[in-house]
Amino acid sequence: MRSVGTGFLVAATVAAAGFLLVPRLILGAPVEPVMGFVQKIFYFHVPCATMLFLSTFTCAGGSIAYLFKGSEAGDRVAVSAGELSVLFGICTLVTGPLWGRKAWGVWWQWDARLTSSLLLELMMIAYLLARRYAGPAGRKLAAALALFAAIDVPLVYKSVDIWRTVHPQTTVVPTLDPRMRPAFWSAFALITVVWSLLLGVRVRLERARADLAALRLDADEILEARL
Amino acid sequence: MTTTQTTHSTRSLAHTFLRIAWFAVLSLLSPGIALAQDFQKVEGALRPELPSVPFVAAAYGFIWIAILVYVLAVARGLSKVRQELAELRRKIDGAGPRP
Repeated sequence: MRSVGTGFLVAATVAAAGFLLVPRLILGAPVEPVMGFVQKIFYFHVPCATMLFLSTFTCAGGSIAYLFKGSEAGDRVAVSAGELSVLFGICTLVTGPLWGRKAWGVWWQWDARLTSSLLLELMMIAYLLARRYAGPAGRKLAAALALFAAIDVPLVYKSVDIWRTVHPQTTVVPTLDPRMRPAFWSAFALITVVWSLLLGVRVRLERARADLAALRLDADEILEARL
Repeated sequence: MTTTQTTHSTRSLAHTFLRIAWFAVLSLLSPGIALAQDFQKVEGALRPELPSVPFVAAAYGFIWIAILVYVLAVARGLSKVRQELAELRRKIDGAGPRP
């Protein structure tokens, strides 16, 4: 079993500092004049959605390595990122309606951004289900599914610019009030660090499982030879 | 049937026709009347205002609880695998020296 690395400890320290600093910055940022205090959900909703995209791309990258080169390490990264995709997708799909209920008056709208995001989340859930229940071919089937999910990501991102939706457009972050930027980017950095830590720990678990499976195979031979 | 009864019946029928005609004219005119009117903004109407704080608290609470639950699940998985690895190594070592 490998010991905890320096990079992991540094990231954990940065995350701990972020937990103390970021809420202060968010509360100190000016209140948005139209939506009011509920706009504070933005500071974590957008980073969670970005991590959903990043996780899906990482999952697709690992899946490509596994499908075309047979890389077991790529598959371990893919399954870890796939789980994070579902986790951050749920966070995005829960915080969005909470914000929408106050800002739009409804919990959900079947518009392009919301529907395509839900579709992406369902594809990533399907990825995990395929790995778990689709039998021996499940890993390859899931890897192919991850590629389709990655193709959906640019569509989700650009949907607000292509179709008329109630969701804000992609110009929100570039045109953000300069006084809100420190809070937003620090929250973004915190979520990114947390994402990296989670990915690292989850890959470690997957590697440990692979070691255990290999040792079990060896153990049978060793024990038979000694008895 | 007497002459008076016939006259009464004819009047009743005429009244019914008139009523139908009146309702028909009103039905045809009413959309026109509605379209001719401008919508006016209602000033000072009471609108139910939802408080923001519970929504923000629920959103932030959900994110951190979801991440915490995931961390605990991964930590539990790691600890289980470590235990199994240790147990297997002990079994291998306890089986005696290599032949």
